[in-house]
Amino acid sequence: MSNIDRRTLVKGSLAAMMAGAAFSRSAFAQSSEPILLGVSGPLTGPNAQYGTQWKQGFDLALDEIQAAGGINGRKLAYQFEDSQSDPRQSVAIAQKFVSNPAIVLELGDFSSPASMAASPIYQRAGLVQFGFTNSHPDFTKGGDFMWSTSVSQADEQPLLASYAVRRLKLKKLAVLHLNTDWGRTSRDYFVNAAKEYGAEIAVTEGYIAEERDFRSTLVRVRDANPDGLILISYYSDGALIARQARQVGLKQVICAASSVYSPKFLELGGEAVEDVHVGTRYFPEDPRPEVQKFISGFKRKYNGLEPDAFNAYAYDAMNMAAAVVRIGGTDRKAIREAFTKVKDVPSVIFGTATFDVATRRVKGAMNAELVVRKGQFALWDGKPT
Amino acid sequence: MSSWLDYTINGLIVGNVYALVAVGLALIFGVSRLINFAQGSIYLVGAYIGWVAVVQLHTPLPLTIIVVAAAAAVVGLIIERFGLRPLQNSVRIAPLLATIGISFVLDQLVMLTFSPNPRALPSQLPDVRFQVGGGTIGPLDLLIAGVGLTSALLLFVFLRYSKLGWAVRAASQDRDAAMQMGVDVNRVNQAVFGIAAALGGVSGMLVGMYYNQIDTAMSLQATLKGVVAEVVGGAGNVPGAVIGSLLLGLVESYGVAVFGTSYRNLFAFLLLVVVLVLRPNGLFASARQAPPEPLTGTFIAPSRPVRIPRWALAVAAVGFAILPFFPVSFYVLQTLINAWLLGMLALSLTLVAGTVGQVSLGHAALLAIGAYTSALLSLTLSVPVGLAVIGGGLMSAALGTLLISPSFRLRGHYVSIATLAIGEIVSLVILNWESVTRGPIGISGIPPLSLFGYDLISPSSIYWFSFAVMTVLALLQGRLLGSHLGRSFRAIRDDDIAARAYGLSLNRYKSLAFIFGGFAAGVSGGIAAHLYSYINHETFNTQQSILALTVVILGGLGNVVGAIVGAVALVGLPEVFRIAAEYRILIYGIVLLLLVRFRPQGLLGTI
Repeated sequence: MSNIDRRTLVKGSLAAMMAGAAFSRSAFAQSSEPILLGVSGPLTGPNAQYGTQWKQGFDLALDEIQAAGGINGRKLAYQFEDSQSDPRQSVAIAQKFVSNPAIVLELGDFSSPASMAASPIYQRAGLVQFGFTNSHPDFTKGGDFMWSTSVSQADEQPLLASYAVRRLKLKKLAVLHLNTDWGRTSRDYFVNAAKEYGAEIAVTEGYIAEERDFRSTLVRVRDANPDGLILISYYSDGALIARQARQVGLKQVICAASSVYSPKFLELGGEAVEDVHVGTRYFPEDPRPEVQKFISGFKRKYNGLEPDAFNAYAYDAMNMAAAVVRIGGTDRKAIREAFTKVKDVPSVIFGTATFDVATRRVKGAMNAELVVRKGQFALWDGKPT
Repeated sequence: MSSWLDYTINGLIVGNVYALVAVGLALIFGVSRLINFAQGSIYLVGAYIGWVAVVQLHTPLPLTIIVVAAAAAVVGLIIERFGLRPLQNSVRIAPLLATIGISFVLDQLVMLTFSPNPRALPSQLPDVRFQVGGGTIGPLDLLIAGVGLTSALLLFVFLRYSKLGWAVRAASQDRDAAMQMGVDVNRVNQAVFGIAAALGGVSGMLVGMYYNQIDTAMSLQATLKGVVAEVVGGAGNVPGAVIGSLLLGLVESYGVAVFGTSYRNLFAFLLLVVVLVLRPNGLFASARQAPPEPLTGTFIAPSRPVRIPRWALAVAAVGFAILPFFPVSFYVLQTLINAWLLGMLALSLTLVAGTVGQVSLGHAALLAIGAYTSALLSLTLSVPVGLAVIGGGLMSAALGTLLISPSFRLRGHYVSIATLAIGEIVSLVILNWESVTRGPIGISGIPPLSLFGYDLISPSSIYWFSFAVMTVLALLQGRLLGSHLGRSFRAIRDDDIAARAYGLSLNRYKSLAFIFGGFAAGVSGGIAAHLYSYINHETFNTQQSILALTVVILGGLGNVVGAIVGAVALVGLPEVFRIAAEYRILIYGIVLLLLVRFRPQGLLGTI
């Protein structure tokens, strides 16, 4: 680091401390104030729905954490800043968080551009950026303060490929994927694994997030004559594709990535998603106590609402953050170290979660083979559809 | 071969969907010469009213349609009465900006009321399918087609044979003459907005039923596709809008057939550019139609600019320059860095739109070109970052000017639509040209800013760097505008026919403006790339272009200081309202509306 930088950094951190002291009393009243996490995510704009889902998951986890006595007697709380998942705003939020000494850990952002634009700021300031929806392969390469519980697609996609090719015996596949960093990476992992298992990839089609009409795409799929359709989609576009596939007369087996796992998928897809196979990280009938506690707690708190995958990511992320803060205390560096020490945290998605210190990601996603039967997700009974 | 039949049918079906929006847009354009960016929001409102009617009140379909049409019409009337009528005598750009503000407000109100989660809007028609070609058609497809065609037909009859329709046409041809002939122009406007909004609302509901899905993000896409379809057909021409929509649907469908799904929108926007280049007024513009608005005095507010004395500017510059020495938080510095980056983009746009009169709605493309060039130069060719940023500026200047040059012969709103399309095309090319741009994965690990071997990574040094670059660009531009060249630019803006008569070569001067402007925007994008270290095709999107235009208009068209003031204000406002969380975009929209209402010439006025 050059001289200029060191000088400005020292000056800057002095300024930051003054600013921090000015608008947060926590500097004076350490013990009674809650331990504060920063959240950078979308509350408005095109991705607003995901921020709303995060909040539901966070709030449920926090209720349970406070009920269990908080973190060594202190409450845990978060400050949610709306970034609209826009990199300009996420960098400003990053500066806001790093210069507020009360913030001990940061969660988010939602999309890769917004998250990774802010990474250099968190990295230099030494504040952990804990991205739990960041499956971009380079997210955790941003520095040793970038950690993620977003399941590496390298882990998940081969499981889906195995479901489709080995279990459902689909030999010729058409892959439709969201043409984003996530969809693209997932597609590559999926295609490689599927080929390894002996399947042929007849066609792959990438579509942009705003797409609503898939009829022409599905004609291409039909002409490729596959015996199975693989959707690497979110629940809203996944439901659209399934509906339109049935409308244009495609009767092939549909198999979708875990990201469609949402009651909304059933609601939006209606009858068209009947018999769709979903490889997922968790399912409501999973007898594990973490899962049952999450689902019953969620329904109780939100008037019978069924949780979905994004709710679960946020819930797990908050619990993971609590576990880390329990070990690391309120010191940012110690929290960074705590990520390397934290072990076997109970979680909905992973069973018990432990970070792989080399990749700074969690390994070992659970995979349940589900199928939609009578409008509900159910464990697949092994019978062909 | 049967597949081609299927592609054709699919194209026509989706074209019908576009037609529902485009017809409303065409009506409003026909009368008010206004591209109503709030039409997509009315479509959104209609979809949610439909949801309430169907899911909560269990209304039968005919009643649902009536309820939605009536409620949307009321929204349209309110917009006309309180949002647009007060702007009647102000500059042309004011109502355009107001519709953008109104769309923010409506979208946010819907989002706050219904939450952003997508909802299912069940179709109320029986789910039977008829086999056509290799695919099927259902009753809802037919209903949408029916509504699209019937409304176009009814409107045609209304405009041609009813008295109010005559009044509408008279008002659209020559507003003042119509008023002198005793036409109540306000009533005409009201009728048009009511009809267009009712159509927009019903279309949102039908499209929601068609996809069994509505969400609060559907409005911008609807507006975009509707505008493309309308302009392809010939703005203001109702049957043209329908044909334009069908054509758009077909081109998209065939594009998918030949090249694959990821090229779909690329073909939609290419169609628009090609049509505009070959037939600048759209395919069905009638020869007798009044020539489109030249961007002359009517566009630029007749205002006296606020002259800020030089010493005051110098004091302000020094104040901002020494700001990091004071105990300000990094957050404030970062916010100002964002403002300086937006300021450079605004300088670029104020030169192009304000001084030369070429309104651009695709300026984010220049950022993207600069950012990708700079990132790739420094990453793959190891060019020093300082030079790479300059390279980004040069590439934006060259490529941007080249891309935009076909639209130089366009006039009025057609320029803004063409630039909108070019912005989308650049973004889609970045997404699809994987061998160079790495496609959807984007570019990560872009080295930080550095100058003469020093890495600029502290907020203060980035702050100084971006402030200095912006200041230099602003001074250069100020000098440019004061010169002979600047006067020629303004002459083109104020009256291009007169300017041509004086022997000015319009295309050359417009190119010069784009070269200067492209450079500033490209540098801004380049700096942003190194600041973020990661970019992808979504980093610089249409919303950035709209933001830049808002900044420029807010500051005062052609006003260098105004562009910077506007950038600080528009980056600052959402940050100031940050505590308001979900409500901040709503507040932002309202503030924008109030500004347009009470200061349409911009804070500092047009130069």
